[in-house]
Amino acid sequence: MLGETYVLWYREMKKWLGRKPVLFISLFSPIFWILLFGKSFNPINLLPQDADEIVALLRAKIVELFGTQDYFTYVAAGMTVAFALFQASFAGASALFDRRLGYMDRLLVTPINRESIFAAKVLASVTRVVVLTAFLMAVSYIAGLQLKADITPPDLLLALLTVAFISLILSSIFMLAGFVMDNPEGLFAIGNLVNTPLLFASSVLFPTAQMPTWLRLIAEVNPLSHGADLVRYFLVGKPMEDPYLVLALFGIISVIVFLTSAKVAVKLMEK
Amino acid sequence: MDPVRAERLSKKYGNFEAVKGVSFRVGKGELYALLGPNGAGKTTTIKMLSTLLKPTSGDGYVMGYSVVREPKEVRKVIGVVPQDLTADDELTGLYNVYLQARLYGYSSSEAMERAKRALEIVGLTESAERRVSTYSGGMRRRLEIAMSLVHDPPVLFLDEPTLGLDVQTRRTIWDLIREFQKEGRSLILTTHYMEEAETLASRVGIIDLGVLKAEGTPEELKSKLRGDRLYVELYSDEDANALVREMTIAGLEVKGDSSQIVVSMQSEEVLRKVIGLLNGKRVRSINIVKPNLEEVFIEITGRRLREESFDAFRQRVFMRKVR
Repeated sequence: MLGETYVLWYREMKKWLGRKPVLFISLFSPIFWILLFGKSFNPINLLPQDADEIVALLRAKIVELFGTQDYFTYVAAGMTVAFALFQASFAGASALFDRRLGYMDRLLVTPINRESIFAAKVLASVTRVVVLTAFLMAVSYIAGLQLKADITPPDLLLALLTVAFISLILSSIFMLAGFVMDNPEGLFAIGNLVNTPLLFASSVLFPTAQMPTWLRLIAEVNPLSHGADLVRYFLVGKPMEDPYLVLALFGIISVIVFLTSAKVAVKLMEK
Repeated sequence: MDPVRAERLSKKYGNFEAVKGVSFRVGKGELYALLGPNGAGKTTTIKMLSTLLKPTSGDGYVMGYSVVREPKEVRKVIGVVPQDLTADDELTGLYNVYLQARLYGYSSSEAMERAKRALEIVGLTESAERRVSTYSGGMRRRLEIAMSLVHDPPVLFLDEPTLGLDVQTRRTIWDLIREFQKEGRSLILTTHYMEEAETLASRVGIIDLGVLKAEGTPEELKSKLRGDRLYVELYSDEDANALVREMTIAGLEVKGDSSQIVVSMQSEEVLRKVIGLLNGKRVRSINIVKPNLEEVFIEITGRRLREESFDAFRQRVFMRKVR
């Protein structure tokens, strides 16, 4: 079972690395997001530069509101999670095309466990997200992300683990969509439908504290918010309550979602 | 014991019954051809026997394993060449076959060895390291065969293996199929090309609208038709209909199909009668043919095997390119 999953996962990796232009583009779109959004939305720039007192006041307010030294640090750390969502929301395409092009039938007549077909695709998606996120973090650091002063390698790994858990949840769900749906347009429509609201109704771009009550209530149950807070806690030291408990919950939920989706996907393969 | 047995296989999609209780057996080293038009239920039958579809009722046995109860055992002993081009065209031919071997549980080095051997059998050694997207239609078909053969299965299913291929490539594939048969494999092939069934098959099952209508060696089936067929084509359907009526009155065995009519030439008397009846009529063409499976098919179903699948194949190639 593990061997089969590895063989199929390796195929996905080979395909991924073989598509150089796609790889290039998928690296750049999140960079545009954090650079353009993170750098242009800087409230300090709104003020006259000689108004030292007001600038100092605003800086203090930013730290109070965002919990980070500047807005860029806030949004760049949060975007890692949104990026996991963007990547995962189209993960199902590979399943859908394998089904449409007959490759899936080719796999289904071999004596492998059908769970491994699903698992390989989801794990490949998680791998892609984690690798790209690590790259994104490096770029953010170069662009001015202020890491916490006492950061250690385990902190970096825990931040990546957070992203891995989130992408495991999202990739499982969207991969399942790739096993249910028959047309790519529908799949992409679902991805787009989910992406934007999930992003804006979260603490990725803005803190939930300043949202209207109804939006805050949504944002506070949105897993992206907790994921973004966790990444900020590990990377930039923004305080949060019980980070390890939240991380453990993410771990448990992601495994449950993954196993459940795998079960459903296998049912769908039996026609 | 026969390697493949279909026992009253049925498949329903909602209210539509695609396959209605099909039963047949295929012996060792035998090539069984399911012949029928598109939509007859050939592919559905093959998909049930190769565990891709669950029968609504009935069962199939491959090397003694039930496709319903022991699908995993069945999968170990079958190779399937599907109608679609299933190889991953972003990867090389060799990698596609190698990956297939890995999925049958072979170690990395053994899988590589088997993949190379399979590619050699189908004559793709020189293109092994090329991406599949650069392959021609015939090469892709051969790659599909290599992928299905890498674990050396005793039973091989081929779903329209020469669909849309040119004559020369078709011959190459036929030679391969004959070779597999000589090796003692049992083969089940679907086709709507009657000459394919005629040249390759040890036995033919004629299937139409989900029902196995007739079964036998090509010779047995053809011997059911008495005498040659005489085709007469007129300039209009009305003329043809009128002629059919006249001929029926004259005691001839005749069938009309739009502007064309077919007469069975059971005796020499028939030809004289036909010529007499045609006297003074505007005739577009006259043809006398030795009975072939196409004739048998028309006789049994009252319809012609339609030639409309070339576009289906082109569409598939196109789909591959879209990705």
